[in-house]
Amino acid sequence: MAASNASEAGVRVLGLGNELLADDAFGILAARAVRRRFGRAAEVVCSSAAGFHLIDHVLNIKRLLVIDTVAVANAIPGTIHVFRGADPRPATLPHFVGLFDVLDLARRLGLPVPDEVLIVGVEAADCTTVGGAMHPEVRAAIPKAVEIAGSFLRGGAE
Amino acid sequence: MATTPETATRRITIDPVTRLEGHGRIEIFLDGAGNVEHTFFEVPELRGFEKFAQGRQAEDMPQITSRICGVCPTAHHMASTKALDSLYQVAPPPAARKIRELVYHAFMTEDHALHFYFLGGPDFVVGPKAPAAERNILGVIARVGVETAQRVIATRRKLRELMALAAGKAIHPVFGVPGGVAKALSREHAEQFRVVADEAVEFARFTLGIFDKVVLANPEYVDLIVSEAFTHRTYYMGMVDEHNRVAFYDGALRVVSPEGQETARFRPEQYRDYIEERSEPWTYMKFCHLKKPGWTGLADGRESGVYCVAPLARLNAADGMATPLAQEQYLRYVETLGGKPVHHTLANHWARLIELLYAAERMRELAHDPEITDPHVRTMPTSAPHEGIGVVEAPRGTLFHHYQSDARGIITKANLLVATQNNSARISMSVEKAARALVSASTVDDGVLNMVEMAFRAYDPCLGCATHSLGGGAFEVRVHARNGIVTLRRDENGGIQRE
Repeated sequence: MAASNASEAGVRVLGLGNELLADDAFGILAARAVRRRFGRAAEVVCSSAAGFHLIDHVLNIKRLLVIDTVAVANAIPGTIHVFRGADPRPATLPHFVGLFDVLDLARRLGLPVPDEVLIVGVEAADCTTVGGAMHPEVRAAIPKAVEIAGSFLRGGAE
Repeated sequence: MATTPETATRRITIDPVTRLEGHGRIEIFLDGAGNVEHTFFEVPELRGFEKFAQGRQAEDMPQITSRICGVCPTAHHMASTKALDSLYQVAPPPAARKIRELVYHAFMTEDHALHFYFLGGPDFVVGPKAPAAERNILGVIARVGVETAQRVIATRRKLRELMALAAGKAIHPVFGVPGGVAKALSREHAEQFRVVADEAVEFARFTLGIFDKVVLANPEYVDLIVSEAFTHRTYYMGMVDEHNRVAFYDGALRVVSPEGQETARFRPEQYRDYIEERSEPWTYMKFCHLKKPGWTGLADGRESGVYCVAPLARLNAADGMATPLAQEQYLRYVETLGGKPVHHTLANHWARLIELLYAAERMRELAHDPEITDPHVRTMPTSAPHEGIGVVEAPRGTLFHHYQSDARGIITKANLLVATQNNSARISMSVEKAARALVSASTVDDGVLNMVEMAFRAYDPCLGCATHSLGGGAFEVRVHARNGIVTLRRDENGGIQRE
């Protein structure tokens, strides 16, 4: 969860997930790829925090990009979903619901929430096998998530 | 699944319950007359942990197991570290033991406080019958005030910072090693703990005050807590100290009967002599039960081996609390609820707050203990490892880590028994009873299903842990009946959409 030096550009890339749990590694691996590709253009944070504890990662930054695994009914593993902070909440996203609750709470309490939030979620096939392999299509989606991150870092939406 | 196509013709789905951590599902089956026939809950199962652990260095297990769960990593870290003490047959020096306890009680304080305000709070602080759109964190804030919520956040932040000072990374502590801890506690850090512990004690008292005002002063809530729909008469298990007072970090496990008599008191290492798991053909959930009196199905009473863990159970299994303010509250709790054991599932919320006060008081005691800054914090292991069992009381109940290794300390077998597994039989019974009392084909609506969920949520089931999958994810209640298909789904405001 340790952050690198705060980005001067006020952008944070937050990779959520767990490297021990098959496809749940996606957010972490993608965030690391963003760090390798774009270096100091953003503060990159990798975390397996869940629920309320996400609050540690969403404050004190102007623009926030979250990369996570999601479970949208009937989507094919590896499908990338992009949500904006202002969109209605999708129903069943493992880390995502907690993220919105935390942002709502922080906003309500007058804490420094981001002006802009973009969530890049990959449809996961399996997040419950300890030490499991990633689904090939999920792994193959990492470059696409990195592209979206690049566009976000340049100031575009996606 | 105990259904056939003809009985599964009506299904009501509610998802997600955003306050729950992890994924779970309650299934309710209605008979032809529209009454509840059968109910159970399920969680997705972890696969592969044992295989993953095999071949790894035992000393890596506290890090590995704490990384499996993002919800209560500190509990896994501590149970695992204690399992390593046991594996290497080494006792940590007094300062190391106290530092572990200090960090653990800071964690318990944080976790219990967050549960009351942000997970359980929507049920009681906002109210079980409040509109769904208000039964969330924002609804709680509307009731308790922005300043209180800010105080919760600030208290949590301070506790986290201290845990990081003492233990390294707060989310996944890196300090437990066999025979001790990785670093001593400095005098400066002990002083910081003293300051924050004082604040935490005040905060816990303040929170009990809110509970008094909002819940205990409201006869409707009290009636609900003691109502038969939310009551089960089972055995209770919890860790106790040498005076049979509630203990979180170390002690004996004590079991009391539905009548409140002690029926077992044993060292955690002996757990397999007392507890076993049972599979049933209609679900892949395993049900833990007491070997004596054995398994007679999902049943109440002295003849059934069903038992319960977590705050309600801990307060029942103990004779009291080891700190003065918590003990006062304990006596009041027992008196108000008609004596021990307290069988009312929803009393878990009150019991949790008494434990919150205890955790804060115990943190304060430890921070004032001069021995805690002793630099001697490690006993080096000298015995060959073979088998180790470590147990703590996690926020959600008794947590067991059990490892076997070869002589080089390479893991050959590893098993976790988590809180929610201990509680699975009673949770199933609670859900079924609440559903029987409240649900029928004509009464399936938002409010009624919320009440069924309340029975479930009172246990604070850490599904993220039972399933070892992370996240603040989905939860469903499905009602199956003979006629038609109705799907109810929560919209983004927490309301229910009918399809």
